[in-house]
Amino acid sequence: MKTMTALIRREYLEHRGAFLYAPATILSLVTLALAAALLFNKVRVPYEIGATSALKFFEVGFLGMGALWSLYLMVALFFYYADAFSADRRNNAMLFWKSMPVSDFTVLSSKMLAGMTLLPALIFAALIVSGILLYGLTGLAVIMMPGLEVPGVLEVLTSSVQLGFYALVHLVLALLWYAPFFAWVGGLSTVFRRWSIPLAFLIPGMLGLVENLFFFDAGPRGGYILNYLRRRLEFGPDRDNIETELLTALSADTNAMLQSLLASIDWMQMVGGLIFAALAVLAASEYRRRVVST
Amino acid sequence: MSETAPAPIVSARGLRKHFGKTEILHGLDFDIPPGRIYGLVGHNGAGKTTTLNALLGLTSYEGTVRVLGEDPYQKRARLMENVAFISDVASLPRFLRVRELFALIANIHPNFDQQKARSFLDGTDVRMDAKIKNLSKGMIAQLHLAVVMAIDAKLLVLDEPTLGLDITYRKRFYRRLLEDYMTEERTLLITTHQVDEIEFMLSDIMFIRDGDLILHMQMETVSTRYAQVLVDPANVEAARALGPIYAETRFGQTAMVFDGVDRDRLADFGAVSTPSLSDLFVALMQRTPGAGEPR
Repeated sequence: MKTMTALIRREYLEHRGAFLYAPATILSLVTLALAAALLFNKVRVPYEIGATSALKFFEVGFLGMGALWSLYLMVALFFYYADAFSADRRNNAMLFWKSMPVSDFTVLSSKMLAGMTLLPALIFAALIVSGILLYGLTGLAVIMMPGLEVPGVLEVLTSSVQLGFYALVHLVLALLWYAPFFAWVGGLSTVFRRWSIPLAFLIPGMLGLVENLFFFDAGPRGGYILNYLRRRLEFGPDRDNIETELLTALSADTNAMLQSLLASIDWMQMVGGLIFAALAVLAASEYRRRVVST
Repeated sequence: MSETAPAPIVSARGLRKHFGKTEILHGLDFDIPPGRIYGLVGHNGAGKTTTLNALLGLTSYEGTVRVLGEDPYQKRARLMENVAFISDVASLPRFLRVRELFALIANIHPNFDQQKARSFLDGTDVRMDAKIKNLSKGMIAQLHLAVVMAIDAKLLVLDEPTLGLDITYRKRFYRRLLEDYMTEERTLLITTHQVDEIEFMLSDIMFIRDGDLILHMQMETVSTRYAQVLVDPANVEAARALGPIYAETRFGQTAMVFDGVDRDRLADFGAVSTPSLSDLFVALMQRTPGAGEPR
């Protein structure tokens, strides 16, 4: 456990640029922009917000930010896995790590786990900070749009905790759902280094093409492989349900949203994906042990 | 009661390695007993690094290899608790600071003493807050040496550890190694092209040529078995009759290296001395026999 924690920390040290410095820079710039807008009285609300309560404004904004940060995280993780699994070869440190009493499987597992735990935790922290900023923005909206109802402090706090919990569960499940894709690009990176980025798409694309060539018109439109991947890339509850939940005048019912989220998940696919991810890491570690010595 | 020899730290039997259809190592057999300082010397491409990689579990091989009683290829991670190595001075992770590196290793390696590593850096220009990527080659070599010396290992393997360093750093590196590390019952296996610089510290020598071990002996035996004679011009033909393994004409004088010829007999032809390792290396690395012809 001590070793694994140290190795995960090592991933943080190596890749903190994308998961700490970049989000911190984004947040700093947004804060600066808001502060400048306030200072120079440049804030304009050119249209009517269809919310009757500032709390609703906060909730919609928070979930919107959650979606944006999730998108940032998924893209950053894709590039992280494409880089991390071959980083030791690229920066010539492979022999140093191999001089440590740690197996290749442990090293690659730590990279996989870092991308599933510590690094997303940093982005989640960025979301929380965004929420605090949003709270300030909500206060501003209240000042500028006298029609908005001012929410109570307890109301905001309760809503923040509930939405934060929903965002956390959503994030954890999304990470587990997409783990096989991350393991796939990581495994490819062990062999092909940065070429893993195009190959992660090219290989399934080619397989889909071959399937269509040989079994044209025998299956669903586009073929089984591409259809499966398209379905497998979809995650989350039905958007209409969420919109309905958010666009009511009442505070968002996060319990209903959670239930909707949990109901939308194909759990067998999730377990299968995690098994695939574990096998991909195992295969990559065997490759690293047998083939990669520098 | 009979004394038994200590179990070898390293044992190789029929060690072979293929890259594709090319055989790089042709069945090496050797033992390295504990407490010795071994030099593994050979040309570029002779198979030194491949041999070391096999011993360190970094590459697959044919034959049997045991390091501290373990199969290195199967048990590399466990073996590294008692084996330290420097394969390349530039292999330290460059994105870390020195203190981060020490903290990391302290959590990964059960036999790493962080305080010891810090004390080894005292008196050097390496600062704990320095980023490794900003250190010079020599400083990185010092840092890497501090790391491996702070590991309480039974076997230390150094593969060209001073490659690219200037003479000052090289000498400091080996002095540090001898003074601060080889004080206990440890075994050191080292390869380098600068054989003369490590000759003073070696207890045993192995020469490898084209994947074959052509010499494996204690340094004391080298001085009793091999002799170098600066032959007087008048005695060249008579000396050649004794079958030197190597001859070279330098500034009008012919130097010959003999294997197993009595020194008293050789003294008649000129000044007799023990060949330096580099002279012996040159003598034995000839790829064709018939060394008697001067070059």
